[in-house]
Amino acid sequence: MRRLPDAAARGKSITLELEGESVPAREGEPVACSLVAAGESVLARSIKYHRARGPYCFSGACSHCLMRVDGVPNVYTCRVPARAGMKLERQNAYPSAKVDVFEAIDWFFPKGLDHHEMFAGMPVAEQVMAKVARQLAGLGLLPDAPAPARMPARIVRVRVAVVGGGAAGLAAAHTLAARGVSFLLFERDAQPGGRHLTGALEPDAPALPDTSALPPDSVRTRATAIGLFDDAEGRFLAVVVESPEGLQLLRVYAERFLLAPGGHPPMLPFENNDLPGVYSGHAASLLARRHGVAPAVAALVGSGEGLYALARLMEAQGTKLAAVVDLKGPVPASAPAGSVRGGAPKAHGLGSVSALSYESESGRRVKVACDAVLVAVGPSPSFELPRQGGAKVEFDEAREVFAVVADADGRTAAADVWVAGDVTGGGSTAQAAAAGQRAAEALSRELAGGAS
Amino acid sequence: MSKQMVCSCEDVTVDDIRHAVAKGFRDVESVKRFTGFGTGVCQGKSCLSAVAALLAKDKAQKPEGLLPFTPRPPLYPTELSVLASLPVDETQAPVGGMFEEMSVFPPVLRPEAPVPKKAKVVIIGGGILGLALAYNLSLRGEKDVVVLERGYLCAGASGRNGGGVRMQWGTSANIELAKRSIELMGRFARDMGINVWLRQGGYLFMAKTKAVAQRLERNAALHNKHGVPTRLLTLDEARDIVPGLTLKDAQAATYNPQDGVIFPWPFLWGYANACRKAGIAVETFTTVTGFEQSDGLVRKVKTDRGDIACDTVVVASGAWSPEVAKLAGVKLPNEPHRHEILSTEPLKPFLGPLVSVLDSGLYFSQSMRGEIVGGMGDALEPAGLNMGSTLRFVSRFARALTEQLPNLGHVKVLRQWAGCYDVTPDNSPVLGRTPGLENMLQLSGFVGHGFMMAPAVSERMAAWMTSGASDELFTRFSLRRFQEGKLEREDMIIG
Repeated sequence: MRRLPDAAARGKSITLELEGESVPAREGEPVACSLVAAGESVLARSIKYHRARGPYCFSGACSHCLMRVDGVPNVYTCRVPARAGMKLERQNAYPSAKVDVFEAIDWFFPKGLDHHEMFAGMPVAEQVMAKVARQLAGLGLLPDAPAPARMPARIVRVRVAVVGGGAAGLAAAHTLAARGVSFLLFERDAQPGGRHLTGALEPDAPALPDTSALPPDSVRTRATAIGLFDDAEGRFLAVVVESPEGLQLLRVYAERFLLAPGGHPPMLPFENNDLPGVYSGHAASLLARRHGVAPAVAALVGSGEGLYALARLMEAQGTKLAAVVDLKGPVPASAPAGSVRGGAPKAHGLGSVSALSYESESGRRVKVACDAVLVAVGPSPSFELPRQGGAKVEFDEAREVFAVVADADGRTAAADVWVAGDVTGGGSTAQAAAAGQRAAEALSRELAGGAS
Repeated sequence: MSKQMVCSCEDVTVDDIRHAVAKGFRDVESVKRFTGFGTGVCQGKSCLSAVAALLAKDKAQKPEGLLPFTPRPPLYPTELSVLASLPVDETQAPVGGMFEEMSVFPPVLRPEAPVPKKAKVVIIGGGILGLALAYNLSLRGEKDVVVLERGYLCAGASGRNGGGVRMQWGTSANIELAKRSIELMGRFARDMGINVWLRQGGYLFMAKTKAVAQRLERNAALHNKHGVPTRLLTLDEARDIVPGLTLKDAQAATYNPQDGVIFPWPFLWGYANACRKAGIAVETFTTVTGFEQSDGLVRKVKTDRGDIACDTVVVASGAWSPEVAKLAGVKLPNEPHRHEILSTEPLKPFLGPLVSVLDSGLYFSQSMRGEIVGGMGDALEPAGLNMGSTLRFVSRFARALTEQLPNLGHVKVLRQWAGCYDVTPDNSPVLGRTPGLENMLQLSGFVGHGFMMAPAVSERMAAWMTSGASDELFTRFSLRRFQEGKLEREDMIIG
């Protein structure tokens, strides 16, 4: 990964402290972004096999980037903004994450390690194993100090609680505002916009809605919904809001919950898919567009229009495309030159990616050198909140994901839970925005007593 | 070494998923438990769909049978200190609870083949007690046994508990049963070929009030009488065992180094495998719908997969026992009560014993995987089969836990869930014959500690059932005691 030429314009230069060494960074960018841009590709060792890990999803949806930050274990460095002097430590490695003797576990167990049956009942071996397993278990060390006193939790009441400030959520917010329905929108990121700002460019994508046109304080950023609960007063959303004053827990009671949380970048199973230097497509477009960080030479694997959109984005950032491998095909005529149909991808490299190989249509194994492998597959719908609210979730065989079952307006099996956008399966930005608008319109009609 | 990761939080590979399927775990919840996929920091966000796609591709499960495992709150790891900031009205009973998965298991998961037409013994409930009893019957030569389980193995309390095992009890019967159980747990891997990771780090009990302190002291003396090396600790001694423990408001503490924690799930698989090897049918996703009775005997157990004629039926359905018994017109005094529990991010080992505040029922320990696992009872919890999760619980627990170990404030909760205790009027089990329905046997009412008692109780019950020799356990704890007013009060209940 390297910084693009316009890096200087992207925030103040600061330094972070990584195990005693200074690492340059831009203030406010995700710590993991600073580290990979500085050439630090190995951020952690995995829990069981001590495999080298670098950031993958840049979405807080995997565990590859967890580090100890200022004495607190297991912090998502893909989410935490860089601040001058931050102290970073890699976890689960001895003597260091770059040279970890316990990586031997990975080599001793090429076929995997069945912890249920290994040494079971062998008198001495079993006891030794239990002791070793206990010492090797866990990730981070206990925090250095107690947490600061938190702000008192608050209760908030609103007609509609919207979760997610991506294409669907923002479109819904504008529609609700236009109809005069009071709402609060909770966005986990520091700014709303979702794919509008961080996705690969789609030719038909609508413009980013102007959030300044929304009612004041109706959009809460750095606000993470952690669950849809209920109690004596009814259904409420639990939200953790991060502000300069600290973390605050909100209980948000609403008449309707319009859930548009999008999706998580999934792990695509292939050989060495966890090698540092393998990134989700979401990570690649986010790093390039928002933070000006991109690989020099990338190999892309995936399927669907998203694969080609990402290829075009990376090319536009000056990244050389070593390969664009479509795992499902056929390759459309509009695809960038050199795109091929292929299968059985495998990442290669010692400690980090140096090549990708795949099986071509003729059955030949092709290997290309690259410094990053980008995995461009559709998102895995974030069905958790709707499901907690009682919505039905089904496996979509064609897309190979679990998705929320909803009608065209976003109604689910639970009367007060509505959904829009990728949570119902995935589509384009334009489709997500249209779904958000439709759901908000139908929901507004219902609230006005004009339900069909 | 080249590997295809599915769940990179827990290092679960494509081969691991296939291995689980080969072992007979074909539904998503079971594959999750056997492989550990989805139990790590991301809680399945990056891997759940990939696992389902693999099961679909390998035809391990029908597409309609692919259901996501329950998305447990919090959706993102959340610090205990933040959860502790929520005020809770302790004078009000908890209400509600998040939508819980599969209170009725979808018919698509039900095996298509009919159940056996007859069996000598039908055991209702494939939890730890039912499976352990079937296994012990097989050891005594009785292999004509069918075990019926409404869900997957581990769906009930046996798969939802914190894995604590202790000899520190308030009655002689429980102390002796627990002693024997822990002895059997130590041999489980040798007997069954599966690891249960018994770690005897001790139980450290503390009391905050004089009355509870006296109870601890009295019980410690009883433990010693039974050869259990429980000792009273000074608060400094307690802090040596758990560095950083505040022991806030503590009046007394006791410690038995032989208590410990185990990993519950492999226990069930171990017993189930041994049963199947002995020819016992363990039928999952099978619901009992009624009984055919005549002349004061159960003749047939009716299920949604056909009827089974039997000589003896055993109700070992945990919190569902009253519902099951009611189908035969038998009223049990048991009541289900929700108990909530949570698990944090995995940390390197720092906590030896399970720590419990006997007054509030707070308990917490560190699992072999490094997570802090713990819960705390709620005196106002109403009776009912509710397994929904509440924010109220995590808040109360987080406050009570960080009061005792303040450095856990920054530690993040990964998931919370609930199970039901099977509560009896005297906190002691219901065992033995059923008045008026002689061939229905009871094996329930363990009030949240059936898991640790199962190996010993089932051993004695199998002996009692097959030999005909009398055993005072099955008269002392019989249903009759409630009519006769001979209650057996247990006063060391936690959780």
